[in-house]
Amino acid sequence: MYDLVIRNGRVVDGSGMPAYNADIALSGNRIAKIGRISEKGRKEIDAEGKVVSPGFIDPHTHFDAQLLWDGYAKPALSHGVTTIVPGNCSLSLAPLRAEYRTKLVGMFNQIEEMPLKAFKEGVVWDWETFSEYITRIRKGLAINVAPLVGHSVIRLWVMGEAAMERTATPEEITAMQGVLRECLDAGAIGLSTSYVDMDEKLQPVPSRYADASEIEAFASVLSEYGRILQIVPEFYDADLTIARLDQLAEISLKYGIPTTFSPLFVNADNVDAVDRVMRRVDEQFARGARVWPQVQTRPIDISFCFAVPSLLFIRLPGWYRIMRFGTPDQIVAAFKDPATREKLVAESAVYNALWPNLRLRLVQTEANQKYVGMTVGEIAAARGTTPIDVMIDLSIEEHLDAHFLAADMGHNSDERVGALLKHPRVHIGASDGGAHILSFSTYGDTGFLFAHYVRELNAMSIESAVKKITSETASIWGIPDRGLLQQGYIADIVIFDPQTINRGEEKYVQDVPGDGSRYIRDAMGVDTVIVGGGVAWTAVAGYNAETRGEILPGEVQKTRPKTRQKVRA
Amino acid sequence: MPAAELSTVRKSILPQNGDTWQSIAARMLPGVAEPEAVSKLQSWNLHVFMRASGAAGSVRGNNPILPSDVIFVEPPLAKA
Repeated sequence: MYDLVIRNGRVVDGSGMPAYNADIALSGNRIAKIGRISEKGRKEIDAEGKVVSPGFIDPHTHFDAQLLWDGYAKPALSHGVTTIVPGNCSLSLAPLRAEYRTKLVGMFNQIEEMPLKAFKEGVVWDWETFSEYITRIRKGLAINVAPLVGHSVIRLWVMGEAAMERTATPEEITAMQGVLRECLDAGAIGLSTSYVDMDEKLQPVPSRYADASEIEAFASVLSEYGRILQIVPEFYDADLTIARLDQLAEISLKYGIPTTFSPLFVNADNVDAVDRVMRRVDEQFARGARVWPQVQTRPIDISFCFAVPSLLFIRLPGWYRIMRFGTPDQIVAAFKDPATREKLVAESAVYNALWPNLRLRLVQTEANQKYVGMTVGEIAAARGTTPIDVMIDLSIEEHLDAHFLAADMGHNSDERVGALLKHPRVHIGASDGGAHILSFSTYGDTGFLFAHYVRELNAMSIESAVKKITSETASIWGIPDRGLLQQGYIADIVIFDPQTINRGEEKYVQDVPGDGSRYIRDAMGVDTVIVGGGVAWTAVAGYNAETRGEILPGEVQKTRPKTRQKVRA
Repeated sequence: MPAAELSTVRKSILPQNGDTWQSIAARMLPGVAEPEAVSKLQSWNLHVFMRASGAAGSVRGNNPILPSDVIFVEPPLAKA
């Protein structure tokens, strides 16, 4: 008898081949048989009218902290995501000495917009090494985790304060290579680095003080394990992105490793940029390099209130400094001070075309409820003032708890984004799951892919879309035995309705430790999510208490080839 | 495809240890007077030139160039 049989489903197996009707039988954590199954299962699921596909893999997340209090990475799992990659952008929570916890929390707060209070109240700091962190998150893990280790934290571990000041000495580089090996041995899937991010003091993160030889030294270690290098390039400029992907290509060729850079956006202000970058990607792939650009499916929407710093204001230093370093009382006082207000209003003029189009999402006082849903321009007309004054005045009246939405800020050309998503050398990802929790929902990108680009626009087939977020991702990242529905593969499976799968409306919920809030989207049209052969979530019963998530690819003694090939930097 | 056969893109370098505008100018624009060469480099690399200088007391002091930076050594290419 099988443990679980899924009957009558439309199998989209992740290979890109045409869908077909079949039953799927599971034994333990693996797929035992696909076809017509006459034997009974201890548990049976009727998937009539539904698609049965491999679990989705999200390659760009920041669930590092959330996994410490939520082994389901909610609500990502409910959207059909069965594997997540945290530790992107040079930031992971290990290895980390106790004296740098505050520093790293500050970096996560600055770069990924994660609340300090969530770390304070949601995290018990009982690890330092990567192995200890893995042991910590493994308890109660319902989703598979393929963790990157961050370059910045390895620098902090080996170099201390000097990590934020200078290049490494040869001895320090050797030590960092050793730390990377320890992390890879403990289960890291690769290394992440960043060329753009700033720390909590608005200074470059440690990885940016590394020269090219340090990156190559890391690449030589990655080559021993055949693991991936992820980078954040200077994505705001096409020439810089191309220079960076050329650097990546040389590393990929020299060390024989896959690399990926994220994000790559379609920008209405520079529509040629993506085409230029993709032409270069194509050339480098033709040489044999692996330089996978990650492209997100969703358009850019940004919500904000002035109580926390928002990346929307990063190019307005006066505003950003107040939001970054001010307490709520200090920010309100600054808004009330005529001289400061005058300076802020003047600085904001560069975005005067934007402010009227923002929409008021949320306020606390009864008096201002009548404005919720209106644009700032409409409220300004009603109040007889300017849009920027509306934002300041409402924020004072609401003691900063007035929330605004800047919708459709970019990456919103269906034609261009659709063409990118189906490009054979584009890697669908860059969700940022678990990060920017007060700016936008990072959940539901897979539902949006099926709803918008498959169903509404017919820009790609469902088989192609599934392949992009399952077997292709597993192949790029070197995740074995996952991403396909084939006999013998691990049973990470999603059952969904192709007519209704979607992302729900963005909503503001209070479920973050420390009474914190975040924007999320519920899953729509997803019926059942199976991880490692066990039902992890259903639309009817929600999350299952029995958990089967794993660390991927896992400790190296289980996965590493017996003979290591060393390539010297 | 050999690297030499890649299409032409804007020329750039990765800094050497301790590089400054002056040292890059001397190495990459040897036929140009230093003030002019430095000025050219700065105008081609606003992503570095416009960056705030290092934190007070930092090793790199007023040198905005980070070891990981991409430094362009020519202006943007004309559109094809």
